[in-house]
Amino acid sequence: MSNPLLEGKADECHLLLGNEAIVRGALEAGVHIVTCYPGTPSSEVPDTFRRIGGTGRQYLMQYSVNEKVAMEVACGASLAGAKALVTMKHVGLNVAADPLFTATYTGLPGGLVILSADDPGFHSSQNEQDNRNYARAASLPCFEPCSAQEAKDMTKEAFRVARLLQQPVLLRTTTRVNHMRGAVRFGALPEEKEPLVAFERNPLRFVPVPAVAKLRHMALEQNMAKARELAEESVFTREHVPASAPRAGIIVSGVSRNYVCDALQTGQWEEKVRVLELGMTWPLPEQRILSFLNSCDKVLIVEENDPLLEKDVRAMAQKAGCATAIAGKGGVLTIQGEYSTPLLMQAIADFLGEPHEKPQVQAPAQLPKRPPNLCAGCSHRAVYYAARQIFGDEAVYSSDIGCYTLGMLPPLRCADFLFCMGSSISAGSGFAMLAKRQVVGFIGDSTFFHSGMTGLANALFNRMDIIVVILDNGTTAMTGHQPNPGMLQDQLGELCQHLDIESIVRGIGVTQVKKVHAFNLKSVEKALQEFKDMQGVRVLIAEEPCALYARRSLHRGGSRVAVVVDQGEATKRCIDGFACPAFCRKDGAYAVDPTLCTGCGLCLQVAPTGFKLVKRA
Amino acid sequence: MDAQKKLRIYFTGVGGQGSLTATALLARTALFAGVDVVAGEVHGMAQRGGVVESVLLLGGWRSPKLEYGEADVILGFEPLETLRGLPYLRKGGVVFSSSDAMPPVGVALGLERYPDMEEIKAKIAEVASESHFLPCRELGAKAGAVQAGNTVLLAAVCASGILPFGVDVFEEALKRFLPAKLQPANLQALEYGRSYFA
Repeated sequence: MSNPLLEGKADECHLLLGNEAIVRGALEAGVHIVTCYPGTPSSEVPDTFRRIGGTGRQYLMQYSVNEKVAMEVACGASLAGAKALVTMKHVGLNVAADPLFTATYTGLPGGLVILSADDPGFHSSQNEQDNRNYARAASLPCFEPCSAQEAKDMTKEAFRVARLLQQPVLLRTTTRVNHMRGAVRFGALPEEKEPLVAFERNPLRFVPVPAVAKLRHMALEQNMAKARELAEESVFTREHVPASAPRAGIIVSGVSRNYVCDALQTGQWEEKVRVLELGMTWPLPEQRILSFLNSCDKVLIVEENDPLLEKDVRAMAQKAGCATAIAGKGGVLTIQGEYSTPLLMQAIADFLGEPHEKPQVQAPAQLPKRPPNLCAGCSHRAVYYAARQIFGDEAVYSSDIGCYTLGMLPPLRCADFLFCMGSSISAGSGFAMLAKRQVVGFIGDSTFFHSGMTGLANALFNRMDIIVVILDNGTTAMTGHQPNPGMLQDQLGELCQHLDIESIVRGIGVTQVKKVHAFNLKSVEKALQEFKDMQGVRVLIAEEPCALYARRSLHRGGSRVAVVVDQGEATKRCIDGFACPAFCRKDGAYAVDPTLCTGCGLCLQVAPTGFKLVKRA
Repeated sequence: MDAQKKLRIYFTGVGGQGSLTATALLARTALFAGVDVVAGEVHGMAQRGGVVESVLLLGGWRSPKLEYGEADVILGFEPLETLRGLPYLRKGGVVFSSSDAMPPVGVALGLERYPDMEEIKAKIAEVASESHFLPCRELGAKAGAVQAGNTVLLAAVCASGILPFGVDVFEEALKRFLPAKLQPANLQALEYGRSYFA
């Protein structure tokens, strides 16, 4: 079936998710290769490339094992002359920062665009870091779309700039832009892809030993000066001047451009203020900003998260001796979370000295909560239950990034600390060394490949103590079942090779290794019990496919469901201690909701007298 | 049809119910009808059995996110979530909600109390100028698929005349955008929604 992203002609208009619009923009730019590590809110970009094109059709693509590797593969491809796109969530760019900060020195002839999908408001993340900081720190031209149309247009423009300057370009989005839908008018797809830029061997550019790097730093400065000229001329630098030519102005970037626009319309203040919208946000168009400052007596700067634009504009004004009053963070405009239209109405009313009534808002009612939870039939619950039985509160539980972080909730309470991908093993072993306590670290299969292997090697090398439980559910569950090296070969297809986790663990040198089926509670408990009395690095691999993945992709399970056969103490203990979301109360009695139960049979193992499995009606 | 009519709709439901699919379908219908449209969704962690919210903005609004008091319409696919989302409704706005409850885990285990339907309706009536409750899951099942229950609610809001396009445009969009095998149940569900305002 033809897909509009792959086949759609110029001037067609389609409703696209921001992330789909990025895909279309990259296709219009003639992207040769896409690399990624999935992470909300970036995942639909690579997933869409995978869904519509398959590998090798018009472009190459890969799910890399982590963001650093994805970045390096894309850098290599771009050195080989390709237009490359690498996608990740904001914290992924921390992992990928090492190659990035030197790739800006060497430059990349083919053109590299980096998508960093930031998450102000913590929708699915452990922090809300502002990756515009990377544009400044590493020297990356940066684009920030605020609509689906711009997501497409700026992706295409980012590729143009990346190839023109031979510098990596940052496409910085935020959750609301990645996951917004809007009408997108298409440009033309290239008739033929631009050829690869032939690689010319030049160690004095591409091998940054100190003497070379010193020269390249100067080249980078020159290239960024050229980028600044592009920003001055950019169609994404837009000034709105009302007929009344007011002496008050707003400079705004990112998704806040929408909130400012809607707030000005709602407050009917459009005639009272001029607006400078910045779409290319690094390097800043200094001349445009200075002339805007000079046209105003006072200017308000609006940006979510860090006051980066504000500080730069203040510095520019100081240097130029410009006396325009500058306002930014303060009052309702904080560095916390996301902005909104009502928040901007308040900020703009304060700035303009306009009367503004705060909307009356009804306080949210105290209602039964609906917290996210491990799914019914999730194998992580079984392993956590077993760990609680063996270690209770005696052990400290080191967690990692994935669905299994939800094991922090009672009654399982199997997450005591967490930093980032892979930290369960390294931070866990560090903690154990000083606290002299048993540490049980939990890490998923994709996270193990991402950055668990190095921590494991380190723990072994330094003779540290930790029990590592690899929760191998055969897929990258949290972000939507993307491939990883642990996935079964027949699911991966012929372009990828399955890697065996046990062989890797043993290959690193771990000798205390056990492998169990997560749904065999007795064997999980037995393995943990044995590990409890041992020292050093111990690894338990608990295998069982993710319940959603098993149903959707492996077409397994679901032929049987559990029913409650006894209302006694054992049943109650299972319901309280195992807490499967399929448990419920019906007419005052314990029951299992057959629409949620997957028939995993764990409740029978916890309370053999309380439940039985029957054929699904 | 008033394509310039500005309207902000807040959608809420439970993970797995298909409320994001419903949002996207109504957004495509709006574009098909020539109305300016922006929709906003949040994907990811919240979907693991949690609350799923989304917004649909018609007629030129740009912000893909709503705050309390900004929505003209709430489309709730589960009554408790409709009540939870009520602060988003502006005074005098309109509510369309499923009346079929899906108890959250605390309620399922008997630890918390699910509010009575009458209580929910009364709280909504304090803010909304009108509210409509339809047994969407039940009607969806009757039409041939529980998920088609969302179409009952969408058809009802289209038939109410509150949107810049009517239920006939929605019907046309269903025929155009839904896979053939999903059409019979959804077209039947559409009739249930349409007849609510007949």
